[in-house]
Amino acid sequence: MANRRQSVALGILLAPVTLFLGVFFLLPLGIIALFSVLTPGLYGGVEWAFYHWNYGRIFGWADGIIEIYEPIYLQILLRSLSFAALTVILTLILCYPVAFWVSRLSERWRLVFMFLITLPFFSSLIVRLYAWLLILKPSGLLNAALLALGIVDVPLEILYTPTAVVLGMVYVMVPFMFLPLYSAVDNLDRSQIEASLDLGANRVQTFVKVVLPQTLPGIMGGAVIVFIPSVGNFVVPDVLGGAKGLMIGNLVEQQFLSSRNWPFGSALSMIIMAVVLTVLLISVTRARKAGGHA
Amino acid sequence: MKAVGIASVLALAAGMAQAEGSLALYNWGDYINPDVLTKFTEETGIAVTLDTYSSNEEMLAKIQAGATGYDIVFPSVHMNDIMIKLGLLEKTGINSHPDFKNINPAFLRAKEDPASEYCLPYAWGTVGIFYNEAVTGPITGWADFFAIPEKTGGKITLLDDMREVIAIGHIMNGTSVNSTDPAAVQAATDYVLAHKGAVSAFTYEVPPMLTSGDIAAGHFFVGGNVFFTETPNIKYVIPAEGGTMYQENICMLASAPNKENARKFMEFYLRPEIAALNVAQQFNGTPNTPANDLTPEAIKSNPNINVGADTMARLQIFEDIGAALKLYDRAWNTIRTAQ
Repeated sequence: MANRRQSVALGILLAPVTLFLGVFFLLPLGIIALFSVLTPGLYGGVEWAFYHWNYGRIFGWADGIIEIYEPIYLQILLRSLSFAALTVILTLILCYPVAFWVSRLSERWRLVFMFLITLPFFSSLIVRLYAWLLILKPSGLLNAALLALGIVDVPLEILYTPTAVVLGMVYVMVPFMFLPLYSAVDNLDRSQIEASLDLGANRVQTFVKVVLPQTLPGIMGGAVIVFIPSVGNFVVPDVLGGAKGLMIGNLVEQQFLSSRNWPFGSALSMIIMAVVLTVLLISVTRARKAGGHA
Repeated sequence: MKAVGIASVLALAAGMAQAEGSLALYNWGDYINPDVLTKFTEETGIAVTLDTYSSNEEMLAKIQAGATGYDIVFPSVHMNDIMIKLGLLEKTGINSHPDFKNINPAFLRAKEDPASEYCLPYAWGTVGIFYNEAVTGPITGWADFFAIPEKTGGKITLLDDMREVIAIGHIMNGTSVNSTDPAAVQAATDYVLAHKGAVSAFTYEVPPMLTSGDIAAGHFFVGGNVFFTETPNIKYVIPAEGGTMYQENICMLASAPNKENARKFMEFYLRPEIAALNVAQQFNGTPNTPANDLTPEAIKSNPNINVGADTMARLQIFEDIGAALKLYDRAWNTIRTAQ
């Protein structure tokens, strides 16, 4: 009886949350899934007739004709994935040593550093990216400094290249990689490191066998949190890539705001979601396996 | 969605305005002289709010999604047609006003509204090339434009706009910018692709980049002239091979809450001195014939702004191309992805 009453109480308690998720998460998702298999309306919106070529279009059969194969949208998808993966790797390389360094600072300096890491969130992303535009452009801050120091003779071509896009994404994503990494590093059992060194393991062995497995959850967490928004990012390629470093997020935006092809935009969104879910599943099963060994 | 929020509220005569009510405009960004709105409020006591959009599709999507509270929108001609077909606009009978005689009939372009029973032709402009003559030397058209990087080392940019960029290919191939023939679209795409190596970026950042010297020339709207009144080196040209033009109309929404005030605004805008006041800040063309004599001398005497009939003949205007938009979407993404 008591159990039942408890579960009823729990049900009542969780009902608003469930309702909220249902209305604001599942319903829009359902609409996107539905739209992705409907016929595009001539003036935006959809016509209520089944149409599977929205997905065919992504994979290269753009006009619903098998004979014409041009995988342009697939290329853009693959490019987005590789940019996102590169962002993960670069933020990891950047943040991993810094996390160790910060964890050894005094309490006061650690707080200062945490404040600095979260500082960018105080201003709009667009404003910060325009600041990067001013830094990277040929007559910008970076080139002026390099020229003045005599390091280069002609301004570097960074703005409006893929380099600028990756640089911008790394800049945006660094805090997301740093925070989970830092918490993993901070919770590192240092007595195990000492034990490993005392028992004759060298530094490399200690790192691979002790430090890396313990910080792996932080690495995986950071990687997932950085990868997911990076795949769908469209602001960075727009501002810093000069619309040439096109990514799949730009493509989705374009379908709704200029090409009036809502079903195709929905189908693209479903593909992004499928990719993200796959990445999540892989990381969860990996984490489980790692947990099982420990 | 009431038209407050991000709106810049021009409630100058707030007390008086309460009695006279309000008017909510939904317009492109930077596409009306604020002085026009101030003057309207001063004369009528009607408080004006202004919200902005950056593409026809964005505006249509919002109105279709049921955004209410707006009285007047400024669609391009082809969007004007679409909105009438979709039943989103209201007949105003603006063509029966005595001042309607000021409007040059050549600008009654909307196919669904040939007599201007719904909308009033608002303004028009051209899309051409801004260039820094000190770097590039004289530029007359697209061929000169694409040759700039090789000749001078200067950079050039194109607009981040699907139809505008592919239109350049159409113009150079002698096909219509509204062509829905896959072969013609492909040929236009090929033209752009052949010159893509010369193009640094697809962007709207032309005025600041040109001012700072980061680019030597850029594809941009005539309205950009507002930034270059003090810089004699930076010039605007409508390409000799041909260019595109745009025209927007003032339309009343069927869902407008202040229809009477919206009509008053349209009548106000029929006056030549008001249309000229707008041109003085916007640097674009007006369909209001007598207004052309009232604009500042610098605008009146510049053949690339105050366009003559011969130049007009080389301009093409975008029409709605329906489902063929998909062709352009693929072509545009091919252009942007190509290395």
